[in-house]
Amino acid sequence: MNPIVRMTGLLVTSLGLSVACGASLAPRELLDARDAFEQAKHGVASQYALAQLETAKQALQQAEAAFRDGRDEAIVDLAYVAERQAQLAEAAGELEKANRERSAALEEREDTQKDYRKRTKAELSAAQRELEETRRKSEAAGAAAAAELDAERVKRLAAEKKASAALASLEALAQVKEDQRGVVITLSGSVLFASGQDKLLPIAMDKLNEVARALKDQGYKKIVVEGHTDARGGDSNNLELSDRRAHAVRLHLVGQGIAASQISAVGRGETVPVAGNETPEGRANNRRVELIVTPE
Amino acid sequence: MNDSQQTSKVIARVAFLTSVLSMFLVSACGGAAVPQDQLTAAEAAARAAEVGGAPNHPKAALHLKYARDQISEAKKLIEEDETELAAAKLERAAVDAELALALSRVENARAEARAALEEVEELKGQTE
Repeated sequence: MNPIVRMTGLLVTSLGLSVACGASLAPRELLDARDAFEQAKHGVASQYALAQLETAKQALQQAEAAFRDGRDEAIVDLAYVAERQAQLAEAAGELEKANRERSAALEEREDTQKDYRKRTKAELSAAQRELEETRRKSEAAGAAAAAELDAERVKRLAAEKKASAALASLEALAQVKEDQRGVVITLSGSVLFASGQDKLLPIAMDKLNEVARALKDQGYKKIVVEGHTDARGGDSNNLELSDRRAHAVRLHLVGQGIAASQISAVGRGETVPVAGNETPEGRANNRRVELIVTPE
Repeated sequence: MNDSQQTSKVIARVAFLTSVLSMFLVSACGGAAVPQDQLTAAEAAARAAEVGGAPNHPKAALHLKYARDQISEAKKLIEEDETELAAAKLERAAVDAELALALSRVENARAEARAALEEVEELKGQTE
């Protein structure tokens, strides 16, 4: 073949090809629309948004038709709309999917909340039960404490009553006063002893028995028995006599159950008068035995 | 039914009417008539997307911007009596606004689902 003819044929062919290519070259917008539709077709839209996918398909077909018919002025806009319709279909699919996921999540939340409320309620009632139990226990403990306190009070009142009764009986027997030394019980000497004697009279014994009983009832820590005389007679005689009398009283009280270790006796003679020695009454008052009781 | 659901229903209805209206108008328009109804519809669709939360989501916001820009261009073309070009712009604007709303709704639904699941995790954590 003639090289020139061959050359010309090649040129014509390539020219023809290039013309054909120019006519079939789709604009970028259409290519984008096709891609978008392919993506939508193979995505969630095919599962959840078939109607929108169909709309997108029709939009793409319009653009393709314009391209086929060579309506250049319409292609770009139609392709643009077709691309958006494809994206819309995909978004619709995504929306449906998201809505389903949301519904599931809301349902799960509802269930969890229900569960949570149930559990919280259970915990609350357990706590309430525990509280009730604790309160009941503390009330019981309080009642027991109060009862104990009451018993204590009753006991104390009884003791006080007994002590005051003892004191009253002592007061009936003898003169009772309180000074810095303690409770001082004064027994008249004329009731206890005959003149100049240190032997207790029978009536004195009865009286001392009652005093002993009262002292035991009231309770005591220490008792000092003091003997006193008036100023008649010699000093040493008086001291000796008062000492013997004090010891006689002490001995009798010990015999009546007063603890020997807690009771002592001492004679004071005429040294501690409580009245003048000039009159018979004064002297009678000075002749005495005093029990000085240190209370418990 | 809560407020946000109510709102999204209204928005959906507006969007639907807008698209139906614009489709009808496209087929009707072809001549020199000013595409006033199409303009109104596109603007309504853009507003619906805005109310639907499109400005809060980047991709939706982008399409809302496309819609707004194309509406502006269409207005200019209408002033220049390029009504056919304006109609095409409005068609594009409407579909962009619709896409903006749809994308925004997807994000809203996802956010709601996430929030619910987070709450579930929190509640589970509290009871353990």
